[in-house]
Amino acid sequence: MKLAGHYNRASIISSLSVLLISAVAYYFIIDRIARNQLDNDLSEELSEVVTYVNSNHQLPKAVDFDEDQTTFQKTTITSFETRFFDNPFIDRKDNKAENGRAVAFLLKFKGENYIVTITESLENTEYLIQIISIITLILTAVFICVLMITNKYILKRLWSPFYGILKQVSNFNIASNQRISGKNTRVDEFRELETAVSKMAEKASSDYRGLKTFTENASHEIMTPLAVITSKLDILIQDETLRPDQYAQITDIYKATGKLSRLNQSLLLLVKIDNDLLQDADKIDINTLILEKIQQFNELIRNKKIELSYSPGSATTEASRYLMDVLINNLLSNAIRHNIENGRILIGLSAGRLMVQNSGAVEPLIQEMIFERFYKGKTSEGIGLGLAVTKTICDKYGFELRYRFIAGMHSFIIKF
Amino acid sequence: MKLLIIEDEPGLRETIEKYFTEEGSICEACDDLKSALDKIALYEYDCILLDIGLPDGEGFSVLDYLKRHNKNECVLIISARNSLDDKIKGLNIGADDYITKPFHLAELKARVLAIFRRKTFGSTNILTYKEINIDLLGRNVTVNDEVMILTKKEYDMLLYFIANKGKVVSKNAIAEHLWGDETDLLDSFDFLYTHIKNLRKKLTELAGRDFFSSIYGVGYKFI
Repeated sequence: MKLAGHYNRASIISSLSVLLISAVAYYFIIDRIARNQLDNDLSEELSEVVTYVNSNHQLPKAVDFDEDQTTFQKTTITSFETRFFDNPFIDRKDNKAENGRAVAFLLKFKGENYIVTITESLENTEYLIQIISIITLILTAVFICVLMITNKYILKRLWSPFYGILKQVSNFNIASNQRISGKNTRVDEFRELETAVSKMAEKASSDYRGLKTFTENASHEIMTPLAVITSKLDILIQDETLRPDQYAQITDIYKATGKLSRLNQSLLLLVKIDNDLLQDADKIDINTLILEKIQQFNELIRNKKIELSYSPGSATTEASRYLMDVLINNLLSNAIRHNIENGRILIGLSAGRLMVQNSGAVEPLIQEMIFERFYKGKTSEGIGLGLAVTKTICDKYGFELRYRFIAGMHSFIIKF
Repeated sequence: MKLLIIEDEPGLRETIEKYFTEEGSICEACDDLKSALDKIALYEYDCILLDIGLPDGEGFSVLDYLKRHNKNECVLIISARNSLDDKIKGLNIGADDYITKPFHLAELKARVLAIFRRKTFGSTNILTYKEINIDLLGRNVTVNDEVMILTKKEYDMLLYFIANKGKVVSKNAIAEHLWGDETDLLDSFDFLYTHIKNLRKKLTELAGRDFFSSIYGVGYKFI
């Protein structure tokens, strides 16, 4: 649930309960006040009756006003405490019983005792309470509507800078040079958030750039010492007084330097792709490219007695020629490198899809790991960057690269 | 052939100098842009080996200088950057070739000789080494006036060996020359032996002598 939803729920529940509780309290308070008021009225009536009796020396007629009814009842009781109580009020006009409030007291008149009961209708009070209830209800409804609208629109607008920042953060790509900027907001918290996030993003980006520059420089710097080693070895082997075992060691050093320089070149290539330094784009005919590569690898394929079959198709893409060359090169050289004697390579090209399959190890590769940098199989002689480079190139152009183990064949599928 | 090596890394400069200095070749070397420009202004060279990253500036200014003064030296750029842009830039302003560090001296020499030949021989591009005659344009090889049919790899290898005549050339260098980046796909050098064996046999049959001597598994020498 969204923040606004949570907020809405909480605020509506709390305001509803407050309103309900206050409505109940309200009802009782008004009722109480009204009764008190009535009781006061009744006390006044009472004293009026007493005054009337004292001054006129006769009982008043049981006059019926709209509001009150007075009855006199002879009694033998000599002491009676004046009391207020609820008493039904019979409306004479339509003979309907209504809620009423009454006062009863003892009146001594000419040696006789009377119990006087004065009843007043509660109708007016009830009417008042009804009106107040209706007004309260309407106000509550209006209040809740206003609250919901406020929450929906004002909250949404209020939080929009937050969502803006959130969107930018989730789309944030450390490799690109974009900055995180907030819309102008007057909310302090959001301004602070924006400052903090953009500072963090800038720091991350600059660290990342620094790291990449470092990688690139380091890789370049390594090339010169490697060149020194290689050339020194080239001079060293001119000395024909060396012993065979020394020559064997030199051969090993040659191999290691060769591997190191290829490793370095792959690293540099990765950095270049990450840095978007290879931006040339041509229309590449993949079929032609594959045919060229098959031609190029022909000798190696024959040497390993691998049977290669290619079912051509037509597919073109817009990409850097160099990178596409590396891509196809890596796929094919992997298929040869990890193949077995008398093995097979199947290449299938159709519009938007390339599949390279090769025989090899009987176990499938670990799908999650093979595209990681420096991951390689136990028996692999490679440097472990080939597939990582392939994946990086695919990512750059939005191609989908997948590995499947189909009928004993390691299959790499690219969707252009 | 008179050569100028412009390279700031002493280890590399010295080995190149050593490898290239032989009968009929003179090498001079310097380690920064300023002394390089001084030398070029004073002397004529056949070929210049130019490192791009020099302590006092980019080697490209040497190319500018040569162009401005209509000088005709062959220039081979040596760079630590395997960068297409640098390559294109270098070749556009007058360099003849571009080699990326690290490289084998044998490769460097083959490249230098190739560009030197291209510039000096003109249209009659015949390379002669003892009994062997190579028409570089038609890619025809004759030994003692008899035509020798070679595969593309054997032909490349022959030129490579002639460029590095009298030197021990490592198998790694030969393999990298012939297969480039695919070298690491070779499970062993057996593959190379086959090519060398074939070339050796063809040459021996026509010339009546063996040009190759194999050096303890590390490489070969072509005499």
